[in-house]
Amino acid sequence: MTADVGTGLIALGAGLAVGLAGLGTGMAEKDVGAAAVGAITENPKMFGKAMVFMVLPETIVIFGLVIAIMAIFVM
Amino acid sequence: MFRSTGKKGNYAYTSARVKAKKSKLLREEDYNKMLMMSVPEISHYISDAGYSREIADLATRHSGLDLLEYATYANMAKAFRSILLASTGELYDMVLAYLTKWDFWNLKVVLRGKSYGLAADQIREDLVPAGKLQEDSLNKLLAAGTIEDTLAVFSAMAHVHFPTEILNSYKDTHSLGDIEDYLVKVYYKNLLELFGTDTRPSLIFRNYIRSEIDVLNLETVLKLKAGGILGEAGMKYYVPGGIEIDEKLMLQMLTAPDMKTLEGSVAQIQIAADIKGVLPTNPTMQEIVAAMKQYEIGLANSVAHMYPLSVIPVFDYMIHKENEVGNIRMIARGTESGLDRETMKTLLVM
Repeated sequence: MTADVGTGLIALGAGLAVGLAGLGTGMAEKDVGAAAVGAITENPKMFGKAMVFMVLPETIVIFGLVIAIMAIFVM
Repeated sequence: MFRSTGKKGNYAYTSARVKAKKSKLLREEDYNKMLMMSVPEISHYISDAGYSREIADLATRHSGLDLLEYATYANMAKAFRSILLASTGELYDMVLAYLTKWDFWNLKVVLRGKSYGLAADQIREDLVPAGKLQEDSLNKLLAAGTIEDTLAVFSAMAHVHFPTEILNSYKDTHSLGDIEDYLVKVYYKNLLELFGTDTRPSLIFRNYIRSEIDVLNLETVLKLKAGGILGEAGMKYYVPGGIEIDEKLMLQMLTAPDMKTLEGSVAQIQIAADIKGVLPTNPTMQEIVAAMKQYEIGLANSVAHMYPLSVIPVFDYMIHKENEVGNIRMIARGTESGLDRETMKTLLVM
């Protein structure tokens, strides 16, 4: 199987889009998660709200994933 | 005195915990209800507001006002220790350093108790084991015979050196004034020496402590003025290290002949402008203490909002908790001694 340089760069770009977005999400979730656990420790009723805030940074990965899919299938 | 862990602290976790704890503190309407109650009713009311374990634990040994006083301080000490144990790294170091305030408080309580010839159990009522010195160490302080022995025991445990002139001054006058002033200065000096300006968290810590020193110095000046004490004599109470009030300004404030001149000399500093709104024209000692406490609470609150992921939200909670305990004890003592509700209301800090 042979592939040209352009295809390789597209694959690399798609990988970076998901990878870097995931890294950013991880950094954001570190503090959000720690704060969520702290709040739930004091008040277990906060679980629902904490969960919502916890998943918010995960939208960043979805953006990365969309870019990756576009790179692979549209370009 | 402290060994730095050198690791970054868990600011997000600890800040969220203290904010959740702060949201559970008593509010104005709770105090208004408590003003209408007897001491046993207040004990019952606060047991529903987070003090239940301490009230239940101590109810077999104490009752009435004693029970309430023991329970409130025990609860406060437990809350502060739980925050300390939940924090890690440099945050732990900062919280522990700040909590040494209670070691100095406990020493003052023991010294005053001994100088008035109180029994160890009576002195124990006012001890708050929230600092580095826990129950065993405090028992050693209580067991020491004389004031000099107590200072020697504290010196060995807390690594605080008492200069000969302070000890000689006590021997000559039998007044604890100089020792107490020295303790305040040592506490703030230690805090400023421990945390430099090298990292952002320690810079935030340091600036907050320096603002606290300014509040303390201004309170000293206002109290001296209200007490009719003018001149350089007040300089012995000056605590160095503040942001706005340096030695020169302190002297200028102390030598001001009246409140109007004093206002003129402090017009350029921010803290004076902030405090002007809450302080009446010719304040009494009580009004000064209440206004400064109010300002301290407001300062902690606003700085905690400015730096949400720092040690300040922890201090903010601690100051609010201490104030809550002070309010509960004031209402209980006032009710027990038959003080009228309006007077008690003016003494509340909210």
